[in-house]
Amino acid sequence: MKGRLIVILLAGLAIGALLAWLLVTGTTQVAPVEDVIFAEPPPTATPAPEQRITLFFAGDDGLLHPEIRTAPLPEETTARIRVVFGELLAGPRGALQPILPYPAELRTLFVTPSGRVYLDLTGPPEPLEGSATELMMIYGLVNSILLNTDVIAVQVLFDGTENVTLTGHLDLSRPLVLNKDFIGR
Amino acid sequence: MAAMRKTVFFAFVTALVIVGGLQAQALPPRLEFRHQGLRIETTPVRNHVEVSSIMTLLGGEAAFSASAGVWALSLGDHLVQLAPDRRLVLVDGKLTEVQDAPISSPGGIAVRLGFLDDYILAPFGFHLETIVGGYSIVPGVSSGKPVTIRPAAADFSATTTLVLSLDRKIEASVEARPGGGVVVLMPGSGPRIESANRLRSRRVRSVVSGPGRIEVDLSPGVGLISWNVLTGPNRIVMELGTVPPTPTPAPIIVQQVTRSGPRPIVIDPGHGGPDTGAIGASGLTEKALTLVIARRLAQALRNAGHPVRLTRDGDGGRALTDRAAVANRLDARVFVSLHANASTVASVHGAETYYMSLDDRASDEAAQSTADLENRAGGSFVQESSALELILWDMAQSEVLNESARLALRVQTRLNALLGLKDRGVKQAPFVVLTGATMPAVLVEVGFLSNAKEREQLASPEHQQALADAIALGIGDFLVGR
Repeated sequence: MKGRLIVILLAGLAIGALLAWLLVTGTTQVAPVEDVIFAEPPPTATPAPEQRITLFFAGDDGLLHPEIRTAPLPEETTARIRVVFGELLAGPRGALQPILPYPAELRTLFVTPSGRVYLDLTGPPEPLEGSATELMMIYGLVNSILLNTDVIAVQVLFDGTENVTLTGHLDLSRPLVLNKDFIGR
Repeated sequence: MAAMRKTVFFAFVTALVIVGGLQAQALPPRLEFRHQGLRIETTPVRNHVEVSSIMTLLGGEAAFSASAGVWALSLGDHLVQLAPDRRLVLVDGKLTEVQDAPISSPGGIAVRLGFLDDYILAPFGFHLETIVGGYSIVPGVSSGKPVTIRPAAADFSATTTLVLSLDRKIEASVEARPGGGVVVLMPGSGPRIESANRLRSRRVRSVVSGPGRIEVDLSPGVGLISWNVLTGPNRIVMELGTVPPTPTPAPIIVQQVTRSGPRPIVIDPGHGGPDTGAIGASGLTEKALTLVIARRLAQALRNAGHPVRLTRDGDGGRALTDRAAVANRLDARVFVSLHANASTVASVHGAETYYMSLDDRASDEAAQSTADLENRAGGSFVQESSALELILWDMAQSEVLNESARLALRVQTRLNALLGLKDRGVKQAPFVVLTGATMPAVLVEVGFLSNAKEREQLASPEHQQALADAIALGIGDFLVGR
């Protein structure tokens, strides 16, 4: 009888310690919601299904024009954005012109729970010129990503740094949303 | 027995170290400010200080943009923009969220002392220092070392004991203010009042901090009987009670600064200095081209009777955010930034006119973000209010945006008609140079230096003059229609 009581007591102590440990670790691991970043998931072996995607490239009129193609498009947002970026980097297949004036690399990307994407690219090797160059590059990226994912805004960083502007025109210090003014008819 | 009860009560209050959550400023009926041998006396409005009075004293300018509902305070190269009931302030183009919004006042706009010190005087290179009866505005950054104040009060039948517990030893003195209330002077200190709980006393209405001082607002008829600065623990103890009322002197009204002369049109030649902007194959730089066209445009506008100012009239560089700030300081009627374009697609040509896009902040995205903030559990109030305030600020700018759109259309129409340029249309984009402009503002791309034919045209003085004339006519069309 006495032995059973000791066992019960020890079991109670163990459960109490476990609960206390869960409580402590639980509170210390909670981060502000906005700070929680959806990091990129580990690669999966299952190939993504081919889907239609809409990409924006530059036309002869200096505006963005859509090019529709199929590509293996994963469900997960960051992987999806990587596919879109890869297709943009590969360039247009038709008569349109590339939007990326240099072979930018996607260093990393983050998506916040509120649907903002932070796209960190390698910076241009030489200074870029003209608002048109800047607008085509940035809104080509922004519009293409927004149309093929469920995110709502994109902020572009260069070499891990938030920039006020790239060529002295567009404000890159904040996330940008879809801009239809630069889409040609 | 009464003395014992008082002692016990006092010990209880001191031991509890009641923190005062007093946000309201308690300023005397009149407040003196001194600066470089000049002095003004101003009448606080609901415990806020008239900004125009301070700008008068500093020799700066306070201009109000009726269309944007924004006040632009300028001194030297610095610009502070603020609006009544908005918890956002633009300091030299940088948007900052503040704790207490300015308020509307008979002089236009009034702010709390802390706001004045942190967001108006500091950008201009000054700070407040305490003097008897007010403050001296002196150059430099405040060197006051922070001291945390925890107020506690105990009411007795005829008196109230007010204890200000301090987190360190300081030099302090206590004075009765002529119009009522008490001021605790602590030169060289930056007092901060902890605000976990609200101070409750029938004789002490509020205790608030200012630079180098604590202001104690008392109920009518209550005054300072005695005071002591004590150590172990560090504290200031005041005995407050009924005193004969003192007459309040008539306020001295400080005349508001008014701008003289007609409002200018501000032309901004894009780029400059080491920032050449785009460079054409012929070596023609965007910065040189925009300056030439800006000078021609300025002359065309002057010929039409408009006063004009340029943000640069040489090869000097100027920060992007400074350019709209110049227009704001001058309370310009119109702000036009001139640029020449370049594209990786050589065939692209034509002129286009842009006006500011508030982008995500005025969009559904912002509304969604705000809704997310409001809906999610554990969201911080600061984040919520920040998003809402940003939207409110943008709404205040919407009238200016409408006018900017109209200006852009007028300019683009003239460019198309007079020059037969390819109409690239009016577009919206969040351009840095247009950010913060409180008047109709546009960015004009006069053509593409990357296009061979257009590059040749842009280098020609005749074409440059034609561009300037077209833009001047567009501005004229806009101003006639206002």
